[in-house]
Amino acid sequence: MRPIGESLAASTSRRGFLARTSRLLAVLAGGGAISALVKPGTADAFHFCGHIYTTDSCPHPTGLPRVDAHGFPLRAADGHPVDDLGQPVNTAGQPVDASGRVLLDPDGLPLPPAPRTRVCQDGVTGRIGRRARIDGSWYRCCGGHIRKLVDCCAHTPRRINGDAALTGYCYSGRRVYCVMYYDTKIPC
Amino acid sequence: MIETISGPRRLVSASCAAFGVGACLGGIVTFALLGLVGRAAHSFGHALPFVAVVAGAAGIAEARGMAVAPQIRRQVPEHWRRVVALPLAAGLYGILLGIGFTTFVYTFALWALVAIVLLLGSPVTGVLTGLAFGAGRALPVVLLAPIVHVRFGRDLVDRMAQRPRTLSVVRLAVASCLLVVVLAVLGTAAGAATNLGSGTDPSVSGTSVVWTAPTGGVLRQEDGSGAATVPPRATVGGSLLAWRDGSTVHVARLADLSPVLDLDVTGVNAIAVSDEWLVTRAQVPGGEKLTARSLSAPSTVVPVATAHTPTRLGRPALDGSLLVYHVAASRLSSIVAVDLAGGTRRVVRRSASGQLTNPAVLGADLVYDRLTNTAQLVQVGPIDRRGSDRIALKLNAPSIHDAGHESHYSNHTRTRRPRPANWRLWTTALSSRNVYVTLLPRIGSPASARLVSVAR
Repeated sequence: MRPIGESLAASTSRRGFLARTSRLLAVLAGGGAISALVKPGTADAFHFCGHIYTTDSCPHPTGLPRVDAHGFPLRAADGHPVDDLGQPVNTAGQPVDASGRVLLDPDGLPLPPAPRTRVCQDGVTGRIGRRARIDGSWYRCCGGHIRKLVDCCAHTPRRINGDAALTGYCYSGRRVYCVMYYDTKIPC
Repeated sequence: MIETISGPRRLVSASCAAFGVGACLGGIVTFALLGLVGRAAHSFGHALPFVAVVAGAAGIAEARGMAVAPQIRRQVPEHWRRVVALPLAAGLYGILLGIGFTTFVYTFALWALVAIVLLLGSPVTGVLTGLAFGAGRALPVVLLAPIVHVRFGRDLVDRMAQRPRTLSVVRLAVASCLLVVVLAVLGTAAGAATNLGSGTDPSVSGTSVVWTAPTGGVLRQEDGSGAATVPPRATVGGSLLAWRDGSTVHVARLADLSPVLDLDVTGVNAIAVSDEWLVTRAQVPGGEKLTARSLSAPSTVVPVATAHTPTRLGRPALDGSLLVYHVAASRLSSIVAVDLAGGTRRVVRRSASGQLTNPAVLGADLVYDRLTNTAQLVQVGPIDRRGSDRIALKLNAPSIHDAGHESHYSNHTRTRRPRPANWRLWTTALSSRNVYVTLLPRIGSPASARLVSVAR
């Protein structure tokens, strides 16, 4: 039997796949027994799992373009929130050390927070001077969890690679400037 | 020279030793003096770009085998070896060769080194350069003189003296070394910092620099003419010195520490002082507050700014009536300037993605830290003219980056992976000569912070 996640990932329509995946996620959320039946199958990719074309990553404070559900940057290795400097931060935006303790200055006061902006809507907009937004996305099974892969779209003839941008999952004349991803907790 | 000191053979060892010591001594004295002259001149500002140009030009000239110019068409006085003992003569010859300017010049490296040491204006660099130069001049002589009597040694000497190819190879090696200098300068990208030791929170008035070391407050003159102990957590401004001791703020005259003002500011954690104003930052419920007091009417408290946690107000810095501080929030980072006399304020720098912190001001010039995910910069520029700031000091990234690609996937990505710095830029101060910066360790206790200075 072909794994459910892989079958879905191989679907020809990514939008249709999105709809089916949404239904699937609700089912999967219902019980671990079903998820246990789903053999993880890692999708093919260009430079990170699930990405099958050559458009490069969106500029991200720590490298790999992992974001949270709202588009703010996360450290790819462990999903810890990071600010625009790449520093791990707590919920208040204060930089923290590896143990989660707030970093202090020589007077024992917390170091100042750095800006933390959305990778696409704020970061790319600031970089190219045109409003960037998220239009569409697709899903793949990566590392045993469903990964949402996101096109960052803008009215730009060129993508981050420097060559011509493609339409991808962008609407209304926008084109893909760069890509990023959001790792869900949904097993696959 | 090799044949001059190679006989009589019983004196070769002593002559070689004397020659080597003399060459190193001559080089050290010469280049240390050049370093002192360069420091006294103090007219080069950002020297490193010029160093790169000089080293690059000399390297190209070497690689192309161009005739060395200017040339010194002199040799060491040959008769010395007949009028004094040979080891003594060898030592004197060594000194002359180490000085560099007294005999025939074989490479452009000499002139390049002279220019570089002058530009850097560092006697220590001069000593090290002179030592290397002297050793370089002495080495062939010291190695070959003892074996010139055997066939192998004579062949080597003949090859050196008679075949231009030998000199060409040496000059290519010199060109390579100069290329390394260029690359090192480009890698540094900004002025090299001078380590002043452990310490934090510098402030400057004229040529007086004050900071807090682990052992207490330090007051030092920029020209090195004097140093004194002051209370810890002190700051200097105009003719005054202020420090905080618990919730008490003391203001005294810098010259004799005679008291000017003592007042209680609950929660005070940073201060700035000038001849006209005292500014304090204090923790208040839910955040921080900056307030100013005119020293002519210290009972009148002028509120300047308030921030609610986690937004932070930076350490205040004053020059006369001009106050600067940073406001660090998770949506915007900005540097604010307030004219305390006129009551006007303006945002002089802002960034929605980088972090701008720890400003200091001197006249119309502003210095501050700019941190991005790829680099940390200390920038200096006119306070009211954005976009023309130059980099006084550059450190690597403030955080660790991943490879930009997942393992077992293609590494074909343009995502850069900057190296993380060991230090984080912190409080600054600005004088007419130097920029002072506190460096906090990226990992470890902030108590091991270090203070550095870099020429403006």
